Amino acid sequence: MKNSWTVGELAGEPDRREGGDLAVAVHRCEPGAFERLIDRFEQPLFGYAHGILQNAFDAQEVVQDAMMRAHKALTRQYDEARCAALALRPWLFKTVRNLCLNKRRSKRSSLEQPLETFDDGRIGPFVSLEGSDLERKEEIELLRRAMALLPVDARELIVLRFMEEMSYAEIAKTVGQSEAALRGKVFRSLKLLRDALEKPATQKGVAYAM
Amino acid sequence: MQCRTVLTRIDALRTRELASIEKTAVEQHLLTCYSCVESQADVVDLADAIKSLAVVPERSCREAVKEQIADSFDRVGDAWVAFSNGRIRMIAEAESIDDVREAYAKKHGRVLEPGTIPEPLRRQVEAAVNGEGVATPKVDLDAANDLEHDVMQTLVRIPRGEVRTYAWVARQAGRPRAVRAVASIIARNAVPYVVPCHRVVPSSGGVGNYIFGSATKRALLEREGVNVDELDALAREHVRYIGSRTTHIFCFPTCRDAKRIQEKNRMPFRDADDAMEHGYRPCRHCQPVAA
Repeated sequence: MKNSWTVGELAGEPDRREGGDLAVAVHRCEPGAFERLIDRFEQPLFGYAHGILQNAFDAQEVVQDAMMRAHKALTRQYDEARCAALALRPWLFKTVRNLCLNKRRSKRSSLEQPLETFDDGRIGPFVSLEGSDLERKEEIELLRRAMALLPVDARELIVLRFMEEMSYAEIAKTVGQSEAALRGKVFRSLKLLRDALEKPATQKGVAYAM
Repeated sequence: MQCRTVLTRIDALRTRELASIEKTAVEQHLLTCYSCVESQADVVDLADAIKSLAVVPERSCREAVKEQIADSFDRVGDAWVAFSNGRIRMIAEAESIDDVREAYAKKHGRVLEPGTIPEPLRRQVEAAVNGEGVATPKVDLDAANDLEHDVMQTLVRIPRGEVRTYAWVARQAGRPRAVRAVASIIARNAVPYVVPCHRVVPSSGGVGNYIFGSATKRALLEREGVNVDELDALAREHVRYIGSRTTHIFCFPTCRDAKRIQEKNRMPFRDADDAMEHGYRPCRHCQPVAA
């Protein structure tokens, strides 16, 4: 029973292969290869950075920095075998994660009150994919505010798991924790989100420990 | 299975990430526990709702990143020239641009795309290939380390029509004992012709090796006005320096001052110590001995 977790079907398997091929193409400096990587990963990475930082400007800066670092690593630092074996998606997300945490550390004081620094949609707005009716818009707005109230590690897991739809194996690689621990944390994060949704008026920030 | 165990697994059940034994156990529990079924519905609802929170960046970083990772190339005569920001980054002769791309990727980690070389750079490459010399080559040395930088600067200062030895370059670059390291830097010169690595020859004589072959090096030096045959003759006699009996100064044989010495006043020396014992001092232009 204990060890059986690791043999579950991995949703991320096909993606990993694609990642290795793309990494090798970038390593060989094939024309257009890195553009393909940008097109494939820029939006997901931005979503993740935004989830952590709650600021579109910083998120954009982090993603661009991460792209430059990724390019340098793939072309200058890693050999071809390492590129081929690379799980590209978790690797890129991990890069963005580290840069985000650095950024947060350097401007921590301004992030203590998420409601005030929370951007109002004018720069890098949250975009609803479907549904134009008012009710739905309001629902999304509530959800958005509830997300902003969560502690950063809960928010990040929710982004990875439910927006990016990563498998637990991939999340484990990205954030460096065991899958078992992550299952519990994802569940608790969802619970925090539900709590924040239900009492938004009284909430000034969710202070639960994860 | 207990409720708390089940709760942490209902999300993994949703995406079929549970091993079959666990899956069965969770599903069994859900048949009997109403509160867990409620939680399961809630997880599915939330997971669905969260998807609509997708964000997109205001503008893509594509162009900004591309600018940082791609340079341009053009053809000048027989040579491929890679350039960026008005500076030459690589000059290569190859059958196809793909070979150059590969070398460029190895050295600079960047992609090469077709472009039009700025006119001043084109003129510099043409002048250098024709043996006219380039006083201040516009080359990009950003990727060079300190020693590489110093070596390149030293090469540029060797006048057209003259040659120096690898040992001399090592000394002028501030690393007199690192002759081998300096020689390999010269051999790896990414911008031949415009940075005149062809003007460096072995102390032992001959023109030595060249990225495009010894014959090319020899032809290039002759085009610049170096009397290569005379150099060979001197090397056979083990003569490294030429002194003047009237001024008592000794030079490299190709130094512009050495060329002015009249035949009857020419005094050959095998090494600098010998010259100095005869009361000769080193030339201040070609600096055969450290100043």
